[in-house]
Amino acid sequence: MNQSNQYQSTSHADNAAIFCRDENRVDWHSKALWNLREKRDKAAASVPEWEQLRQLGSEIKLHTLSHLGDYLCQFEQKCIENGIQVHWAKDASEHNEIALKILSVHAVKKLVKSKSMLTEECHLNPFLEKHGIEVIDTDLGERIIQLNNQPPSHIVVPAIHMKKEEVGELFHQKLNTPKGESDPTRLTRAARKHLHDQFLSADAAMTGVNIAIADLGAVVVCTNEGNADMGVNLPKLQIHSMGIDKIVPDAQSAMVLLRILARNAIGQPITTYSSFYRGGKVDGEMHIIIVDNGRTDIMQDKILAESLKCIRCGGCLNTCPVYRRSGGFSYNYTIPGPIGIAVGAQHDESNTIPWACTLCGSCSYVCPTKVPLDKIIAHHRRLKAEQGKLPFGKKYYMPAVGKLMSSPTLLNCAMGSARLALKVLPHSLITPFSGAWGQYRELPVSPKSSFDTWYKQHKASNKEAK
Amino acid sequence: MKIALFIPCLVNQMMPDVAIATLSLLEKLGHQVIFPQGQTCCGQPMTNSGCFNEARNTTLKLLNAFKGVECDAIVCPAASCLVAAKENFHEFDKSQAAQDVIDKLYELTEFLHDIAPIASFKYKFEHTISLQMSCHGLRMLNLATPSESMGPQFNKVEAILQNIPGINIVYPAPRDECCGFGGTFAVDEGAVSAKMGKDKAHTHAATHAQYVVGFDPSCLLHLDGMIRRQLLPIQTRHIAQIIDAAL
Repeated sequence: MNQSNQYQSTSHADNAAIFCRDENRVDWHSKALWNLREKRDKAAASVPEWEQLRQLGSEIKLHTLSHLGDYLCQFEQKCIENGIQVHWAKDASEHNEIALKILSVHAVKKLVKSKSMLTEECHLNPFLEKHGIEVIDTDLGERIIQLNNQPPSHIVVPAIHMKKEEVGELFHQKLNTPKGESDPTRLTRAARKHLHDQFLSADAAMTGVNIAIADLGAVVVCTNEGNADMGVNLPKLQIHSMGIDKIVPDAQSAMVLLRILARNAIGQPITTYSSFYRGGKVDGEMHIIIVDNGRTDIMQDKILAESLKCIRCGGCLNTCPVYRRSGGFSYNYTIPGPIGIAVGAQHDESNTIPWACTLCGSCSYVCPTKVPLDKIIAHHRRLKAEQGKLPFGKKYYMPAVGKLMSSPTLLNCAMGSARLALKVLPHSLITPFSGAWGQYRELPVSPKSSFDTWYKQHKASNKEAK
Repeated sequence: MKIALFIPCLVNQMMPDVAIATLSLLEKLGHQVIFPQGQTCCGQPMTNSGCFNEARNTTLKLLNAFKGVECDAIVCPAASCLVAAKENFHEFDKSQAAQDVIDKLYELTEFLHDIAPIASFKYKFEHTISLQMSCHGLRMLNLATPSESMGPQFNKVEAILQNIPGINIVYPAPRDECCGFGGTFAVDEGAVSAKMGKDKAHTHAATHAQYVVGFDPSCLLHLDGMIRRQLLPIQTRHIAQIIDAAL
């Protein structure tokens, strides 16, 4: 089932409601992600200095972001000294053009790609394919969704929305595995064999970047399958795309982030392959594309700027009770969940994703670099409101609610009749709310009177008694 | 101590029993309790929606109800309203008079743990209760260590309740996941909110406790609606009601 295509609406609430129709799938999805959260808890608890590491992670990123120009220039200079060719892209289309140009010079027909939410953000695959270049995503999860014509539904486990039986059916159709095969080990083996052939026949490799180290002129790429290394080490040409926010000052800083990244993602001490690249192969070429794509805009706002501390571990998605029950395709942005709202709300023309959150704050506490996600999300709501972009008819009913709530007399009056009518709490008062409460819950049991009234009577009878 | 009650609109209008229990327990503990008039909503439904202009009047009206009131503390039996009041007062009024009010604001659990601890309980409460660790009290008021945190572990709610003779405290699994109320989230995102509430109601019931006990009336109201819709054998109680019954 191609879930991403069943959504006609761009509204998070609409799409979440569709996802919620299949309650068994919601339960299964929620549990799969909560398992990752539990593994994360165990891994974090096994490091006595965990909270200090989070603080350090946060400070490293904040420091680098506040000296970003200096570190990026140092990085570029060191890269050039290492023989790396550095390119700057101000947005997605510049990034894609640069990538195409490099690939065209080398007459690349097939590109193997690994680990890059940034290329997803830039919609690189369809762009290159339009220009006759075959793109193969080599991370197992990414390859699965690529074969299924879907974007990732999670930033670390991109095919988490698919059950093993569905992967089995997909592989049967695309990779000729036996019909009905759903054993993960056998399916993984089939995928490995298929990918192996792709690695051997590729003309170039492209990867994302987990960390870029300024004083070394090096990039770090983390994978569990070794696919980035297979890709990069086989063909002559390697390209690494990174957002400007990936930079840290030195190797020591990178080590702090490496200690928290995989633990917070899936509970692993460290990713199986954490490879440092600081130069091309003999007779080969190494290119780095440094991409802004709206990041300096985000930095203009002090609260939003902290979202750039994110190291893309996906921990906030795994803990988010809303993401787990609404699925990654409901967010109307490449990156879903709390971090997706934080960095994607300004691109969300449906103006609904900042409200796809209860502001419970679990994401902020789980975040290994202390991105204040709930505060950023609340801030996005305020920005949307100030721009007159409120969803759910809020712009029509909120002034009425404001007036009602600010007047004890009005409020007493309205609530008094509501209690009397006993029919409803909010929806007799506030029409846009109607139905949503009572559809899923029993209405509140109506008390006899307000506390106000009770207090006055109580105090009066007390005085009489005296 | 002289205590001013801060009774948020939801408690005043829909859950007066919570306010009555709060008043009663504070008086039993020997405090002088007053209830300043003119209180209204803290503005949370509006500010949480991003509508700060719409929140201004109501927030300032609430703040004015407390300005100049002579007391040692302002105590509120609703964690999320208290957090919102604190933040909104600060947002809309930077005066010293506003700060004086903010400095005296305490959530009930916070007050009973940090400021005026209960020496002893008179009556037994021989029931199993499942604690609802609501998000705002937990992660914004630090009433306990959230399950995400690996630092020193503490739990003010449990610390207060565990002294009641006969009480048995348990937790749902997951221990402190959001119940899905989220103010207007419950109506804006009806499907997800309902699923979260349903899951939460079931995990509380699965503990076989008689009561779900919490410090945030709005979450309890939401859970109560879910529990009755799902016909689950458990009831909601506010922490004030449990404490009041045992004093």
